[in-house]
Amino acid sequence: MTRARRWAGLTYVAPLVVFLTALFLVPLVELLRLSFSPVDSYNTALPGFTLDQYKRVFTEPYFYGSLLETLATALLVATLCVLLAYPAAYVLARRAPGTMRTLLFVIVISPLLTSVVVRTYGWVVLLSGNGVVNRLLVATGLRDEPARLLTSYPSVVIAVTHVLLPFAIIPLTTALGGLDHNLHRASQTLGAGPVRTFLRVTVPLSLPGVVTGALIVFALAMGIYITPLLVGGVTQPLAGIRVYDQVETVFNYPVAAALSFALLALTLLSTTLLAGGFRIWERRLHG
Amino acid sequence: MAERRRRFGYDRAVGLLGGACAAAVFLFLIAPLVVLVVSSFNRDASMAFPPSGLSLRWYAEVLGSPDWQVSFRLSGILVLMVVPTTVVIGTLAAYGLAQGSFPGRRLLQGLALSPLMVPEIITALGLLYYFHGVGLINSVPGLWLAHSLVALPFVVRAVMVSAANLDPALERAATSLGAGRVRVFFTVTLPLLRPGIIAGAILAAVTSLGEVAVTALVAGANTTTVPLRIFSAVQYQLDPSMAAVSTLLMAASVVVMVIADRFARISEAL
Repeated sequence: MTRARRWAGLTYVAPLVVFLTALFLVPLVELLRLSFSPVDSYNTALPGFTLDQYKRVFTEPYFYGSLLETLATALLVATLCVLLAYPAAYVLARRAPGTMRTLLFVIVISPLLTSVVVRTYGWVVLLSGNGVVNRLLVATGLRDEPARLLTSYPSVVIAVTHVLLPFAIIPLTTALGGLDHNLHRASQTLGAGPVRTFLRVTVPLSLPGVVTGALIVFALAMGIYITPLLVGGVTQPLAGIRVYDQVETVFNYPVAAALSFALLALTLLSTTLLAGGFRIWERRLHG
Repeated sequence: MAERRRRFGYDRAVGLLGGACAAAVFLFLIAPLVVLVVSSFNRDASMAFPPSGLSLRWYAEVLGSPDWQVSFRLSGILVLMVVPTTVVIGTLAAYGLAQGSFPGRRLLQGLALSPLMVPEIITALGLLYYFHGVGLINSVPGLWLAHSLVALPFVVRAVMVSAANLDPALERAATSLGAGRVRVFFTVTLPLLRPGIIAGAILAAVTSLGEVAVTALVAGANTTTVPLRIFSAVQYQLDPSMAAVSTLLMAASVVVMVIADRFARISEAL
């Protein structure tokens, strides 16, 4: 490859760099600057520099509590997604190509191809006062009267898990599909049953897929706000919803910006820590 | 022998249990969507499930409503603007990133995919504040740029899969046979990148059709896209007309996907 050709790559990337600088980097920098702005009594941003917004975010339980709650929720959702993704991905990866496999695959990616509003709205219908879930609960005698499922924390966890589950299934399917089937046969020839083979061979070898899926789901769950807002309402103690609330009802942009960057920092920090932790675990497992 | 038979039975039971778990997960994935589609044909104004009777009245209501017509037109226009924008920028970038070996390549690759990593509320708030300053709030160009920003990383990633498998010998062969660089790009490179480009275009279309997280903050009364109208309506009322719109939106995505699946394997791009 000639020198000129090497650099030619850069010209192809130039439009993207211009686009992302103008619409992504510059707005983020502006937002960062806004988070250090003082506000007047009408929450209008003033010129100057202050750490007040960050002080509020880290001292008022309304804000820092929401950050901790978001972290706990994201960890819970990531765990649930991995647990639910495993059987689905296993079936999907082992199935021979054909109509059934295509159908299952369409089911897996169908949530990705429908608007998040549509998916969430489906849950609103399912969980509403006279929805299917409540009717089942009453009909089976588990409850005497319909439960208030919407606007509850469990419903938020269920809906967010549903929305993010495909992001865990896809990498896991890829990882499981790439496993050498001879390893299974070897394990079984040496006397291990399918269950033991699964636990001692399949699961350890699929860990990279598990890790990728868990990290993606975790990062997305940290910033999700439309789904919990629709299912759980504006009072849910999640950071994304608090940011939205500051913007739409309180009109305090600087505090919204400060909370956003606290959320971003927390997301980056915990993702890095999780990735590091997983790497150590994998290394220990594979010697 | 008995021992073997018992173990066989045990393994089989575990296998069945795993299969049942998988079936439950697939049901979990599809249930909300199925419920919506079925509810949209309800005869009554309630969201009761199963419906008391079937009718198409909610579709007639939605398709006859001027508000919804405006939203459908807007969402359609946005898809037609966002797909070419992101495909051109994304394809060029993916090709450059996969083929070039200039310094800072990894950094630029990180930049190209970074909008995927930043929580959606931050991207939304950043654009809201920025668009306020330049007067793009509640405007079609504003939504066009916002949707393009959200969709772009998906296109880059999809095309990069194809670009990484590109054999440079083919381009060299074309060059040695006398084709100029532009001609090589259009007659050799682009056709080879086709599967990735098509997958990217689908993802861009579906993303724009369904985008709410950023749209909710930068759109306004005159620029209510279909999913945004569903979003604001669902917060106040539950009636089957919303299920009908949701079904139409889903149908649009499925049509896009079925067309695309004939040309490219989307699964590889995700």
